[in-house]
Amino acid sequence: MIVYIVRRLLQAVPQLVIISIVLFALMQAIGDPISTLGARVPPRPEEKARLRRMLGLDQPAYMQYVVWLIGNDWLKLDMDGDGVRETPGPRRGILRGDLGNSLVTRQPVVTMIAERLPNTLLLMVTAEVVIIVFSLLIGVYSAIKRYTPVDNVITAGAFVGFSMPVFWLALMMMYLFAVNFKRWGLPYLPTIGMYDPAVGQTLGEVVRHMVMPVATLSIISVAGYSRYVRASMIEVLHQDYIRTARAKGVREWLVVYRHALKNASLPFVTLIGLDIPFFLAGAVVTEQIFGWPGMGRMFIDHTNRSDFPVLMGILMFIALAVVVVQLLTDVTYSFLDPRIRLN
Amino acid sequence: MATLTADPTATLEPAPIAEISFKPRSPSELAWRRFRKHKMAMVGVGVLVLLALYATLGGMLWSRGYCAPVQATLSGEAWANCNDTGQKLQGPSREHIFGTDAIGRDIFARTIYGGQISLLIGLTATLVEVVLGTLVGVVSAYYGGWVDSLLMRFTEAMLTIPSLFLLIVMAKFFGGKLPALNLLGRELSGSVVVIIVIIGITSWMYLARIVRANVLSLRELDYVSAARALGVSNTRIIMSHLLPNTFAPIIVSSSLGVASAILSETYVSFFGLGVQVPTASWGNMLESAYKYLASAPWLWFFPGMLIVLTVLAINFVGDGLQDAFDPRG
Amino acid sequence: MRLQKSSLWSVVSTLVAGALLASACTGATATPAATEVPANTQSPANTQAPANTPAPADTVAPDPTAGPDFSGSATITFVQEPDNLNPLYTTMWFSALTTQFWLKGVWSFDDQSQPYPELAAEIPSAENGGVSEDGQTITIRLNPDVTWSDGEPLTADDFVFTYDMVMSDQNIVLSRAPYEDYVTSVEAADPQTVVVHMNSSYAAWLTTLFTVVLPKHILEPVFAAEGTLDNAEWNRAPTVGVGPFVFTEWEPQSHMIFTANATWIRPPKLEQIVVRMSPDDAAQEAAILAGDTQIGAFLDASQVARLEADGTVQVAGTPGGFDESWFLNVNPDTAHPAMLDVNVRMALALATDRFTIVQDLLDAEINPVNATFWDNTPGYATETLEPYPYDPAEAARLLDAAGWVDSNGDGTRDKDGVELVLRYITNERELRKNVQAVVQQEWAALGIGTELVNHSADIFWNDFTNGGPQAKGEYDIAQYSSSPLGPPDPEASDGWRCNQIANADKPDGANWQGYCNPDLDALFDQQAVTADPTARKAIYKDIQQVMYDDVIYIGMWKDPDLWSIHETLHNVRLSGPTPFWNAAEWTSDK
Repeated sequence: MIVYIVRRLLQAVPQLVIISIVLFALMQAIGDPISTLGARVPPRPEEKARLRRMLGLDQPAYMQYVVWLIGNDWLKLDMDGDGVRETPGPRRGILRGDLGNSLVTRQPVVTMIAERLPNTLLLMVTAEVVIIVFSLLIGVYSAIKRYTPVDNVITAGAFVGFSMPVFWLALMMMYLFAVNFKRWGLPYLPTIGMYDPAVGQTLGEVVRHMVMPVATLSIISVAGYSRYVRASMIEVLHQDYIRTARAKGVREWLVVYRHALKNASLPFVTLIGLDIPFFLAGAVVTEQIFGWPGMGRMFIDHTNRSDFPVLMGILMFIALAVVVVQLLTDVTYSFLDPRIRLN
Repeated sequence: MATLTADPTATLEPAPIAEISFKPRSPSELAWRRFRKHKMAMVGVGVLVLLALYATLGGMLWSRGYCAPVQATLSGEAWANCNDTGQKLQGPSREHIFGTDAIGRDIFARTIYGGQISLLIGLTATLVEVVLGTLVGVVSAYYGGWVDSLLMRFTEAMLTIPSLFLLIVMAKFFGGKLPALNLLGRELSGSVVVIIVIIGITSWMYLARIVRANVLSLRELDYVSAARALGVSNTRIIMSHLLPNTFAPIIVSSSLGVASAILSETYVSFFGLGVQVPTASWGNMLESAYKYLASAPWLWFFPGMLIVLTVLAINFVGDGLQDAFDPRG
Repeated sequence: MRLQKSSLWSVVSTLVAGALLASACTGATATPAATEVPANTQSPANTQAPANTPAPADTVAPDPTAGPDFSGSATITFVQEPDNLNPLYTTMWFSALTTQFWLKGVWSFDDQSQPYPELAAEIPSAENGGVSEDGQTITIRLNPDVTWSDGEPLTADDFVFTYDMVMSDQNIVLSRAPYEDYVTSVEAADPQTVVVHMNSSYAAWLTTLFTVVLPKHILEPVFAAEGTLDNAEWNRAPTVGVGPFVFTEWEPQSHMIFTANATWIRPPKLEQIVVRMSPDDAAQEAAILAGDTQIGAFLDASQVARLEADGTVQVAGTPGGFDESWFLNVNPDTAHPAMLDVNVRMALALATDRFTIVQDLLDAEINPVNATFWDNTPGYATETLEPYPYDPAEAARLLDAAGWVDSNGDGTRDKDGVELVLRYITNERELRKNVQAVVQQEWAALGIGTELVNHSADIFWNDFTNGGPQAKGEYDIAQYSSSPLGPPDPEASDGWRCNQIANADKPDGANWQGYCNPDLDALFDQQAVTADPTARKAIYKDIQQVMYDDVIYIGMWKDPDLWSIHETLHNVRLSGPTPFWNAAEWTSDK
């Protein structure tokens, strides 16, 4: 076991390096950060050339990768365009902990991620808890009442929920609960943001602003996951030991919740576990529509600006999380199911 | 006692054994029978057939109208692309039974031609996904060792990269570079091919893992070891023994994959990376309706309903398939 | 070894709940709130009416009784978050919008696009000696009552410092215009007088000089310590500024807060202004309708009807200089051969019913069809030229006469074996795609074929070296919204100069249409050194006539900036170049 873990960790290092190379290569296709700089009128060509030179973007791609990896303070660069390389660079490279600065905001990438990460985790973890609870409830109920009209209604509802595009659901909820409820004099929810700056970041404000984004994320996921739980439960409910328990006269709810659910939820839990790294990526569309200041929004904003230091930072962060969680999952698998041998 | 048998001359002798015959049913026949018993699955099949007819024949039969700006009566795809800005954003009416969109195109016709694109994307993207996923899964599980390690690490690497990022990169890379295709009488813009490739490439990983898990357990079975001991070639073992027994998860997964591909197309359209207007697809019709969500609901209602129906039907069929292949059902 | 799942779950859920509660309350580390804003402690001397400021007659006379009694808060939404608040490090329009709150320049532009003195005591002119005879020296006299928000006086040294920072090679500033090309030196003749020496009588000095001034007493130490201003904390938390409001807080991706500054010469009425970020257009619309925001920015014409429907919101348009335009490729090396014929280009203009497009897809009152590139630049709009009319019959006649007829019966005109299929490109905005579809259909009826292409923004604007489609001439018609470089100044000549044609020899050329007309070049040269507005306008009349006759530019519609103003916010007068110029006078019911 220890050998296996060590071997996987050692494999992870070249894996991450290869992932970083692949990502960096893909990044070259994503666009040129200097072309518009977000302005309505693009900068003049001379300014663009100067910026490229000063930000090190005129270097060939492999050179930029090397700088990203190990920095350029050991190199001399030509910052003032006179052809003479006389200034050492400012970057120390990711291997020395410097993820670089955003080309757009000039802030260190680490700071930017650290600022947004708690907001995303708040949203995603809450949503995930809601998803787990409701998926289990609905999935189990649906499995018990299998093929009855109630099950068919739940199933149809689940599929409608599952097919809804996120952006449609988000905006519909916003119109209904924020705009129209306010018009009709009913208690209403706020439209955008994580809290109202005039009131401040209180628990009440954040909770009020969190209702719709969490609901949007949950409805669609619950619709999908509840089907999975239902299928799992149905399979487990047909096992022999369940039949034995029933024959022994164990009460039905005990059979369902203690025996069946424990075993049915195992694959479900692993599925949720595999989602964890992508919590960090945030829910891009939901965060964008509700103006939630999280990682997903930062990701899409900076993709539109082709800000590759930020994108590389976020993607490598996710990659690291995925590798670690995959390892944990595989190890947990082997603990829980002795039939699976890791070799 | 007198009512036991109708015919007083009937004897109680058992019939000769030779006359009792039972025809063994093949596994696929059994599966089909189980599938037929699943009511919702049969309904799903029916709905899918109707949708396929809607998308294919609907254009020939029902897509026609008078296009004022060109002063001609158009039919088929030309009618779906006829824009008449004076008629924009009108609700359902006799001339336009699903209403008109932001530049006055007929939504009914666009759902028909859009349906062709969306269903095509769903089917072909799933094909790509199934081929890639099965290949990787089987090879990885059967050969094991460093092949398995390499392929699984590659799969993980693909899983690591968020699909949205891959979508954006590939859309930017291929966008505008792939030429239009001519398929079955329609000219499909390059963006359709891009979408198919993107969705296929970002979704094969899950199937690969499932197939690998399946083959891993099959590999240890006695008859496989026996076949290997007998010197049967690897390819034959894979093709005749392993693959057929993994059909079940592959088929279930691919049926759900079609639904998932259709939904992915909608998600991608939100970022403007899907099928490019003026070619219609259900996904980009929803995206165009986004700004008019509250003010012109017919823009999203009809393509949305069709997507929901398709996904519903596919999932019921998938359910049925899952039950049909599951011997413990 | 089976894990005890139930106890594990309870532990995990407790931890998660605890962490959630903690993070909900404390949140991310916000940028530090200002501690040195002397909000209500300023001496009354700074609130007197600045009687010695000769403000233009039609502006609001500052109310001498407005003192430290600030009340009310205004909320504005932005659909794009500024990337940096230091104007040297950003070219975003949304960043520039905020500077009218907290970092005024020498002068702003009022709602008639006339200059309005802010830091300067008066607008320099030939009459008051501010502009020298040869037009090459500008003397700016500063208003002696102006101080930085921390009480430090504003002097000419701050201006010299700003110039030095812009030109320094240690600072990766986004633009050195106009200093790099036109300014030879900046000096402080005395603490209240800034003298700018230029190398020619550069006409656009009024709109480009010192639109931003940096606080020397704050930033010089930073520059000395770090060797650059690139990473200065002030860039993202400029707690010292000069204007009616002071920056207080910026919670990235969420909001910015600006609080009233009593030290400004015209103290504001509001207590604070809150800017909230709402990246999604449809969500912003919902926020406007719900009243969660009082000013919505960067709207589009299709939203006007919906926003004004219930009467709580008014939509106003400002002439920001932008017109939706068609730029025609006339480069013989890259354009379709038909494009080289002025009659074909005229036919294209006549064949396009821009009037119906504007009426149906936009709003004919807000977005009338424009005739020239400068129709939305106040003072330079044409008074004589009418937009090309819609006349498909004449268009057909012109094409026939030019030799483009459908000789092979395939529905598209052709000549010498070349089909008349034109490449019509634009970016990916929905409205533009819709216009493309409408135009394609219109032209198809006349036998003009079109290839519609949409590029994403960064590719669309790429220069020649990076394969940009416009720069490389891979188009025949390019549509987008464009304006002069710095409205209300009309300067935009690089786009049409002969020596700016983008090609392998001049990859950074700004002339992507491949147009070369020596007469036009001469006119452009002349207007660049003509500072007198009347004379300059006369030159532009000629410029516009030349371009109009040559049909290298087809105007689609005027594209004013659209704003929504909620009924709870009063006294808002938006200007084109510097929209929030009169923020000090706003009052709010909230």
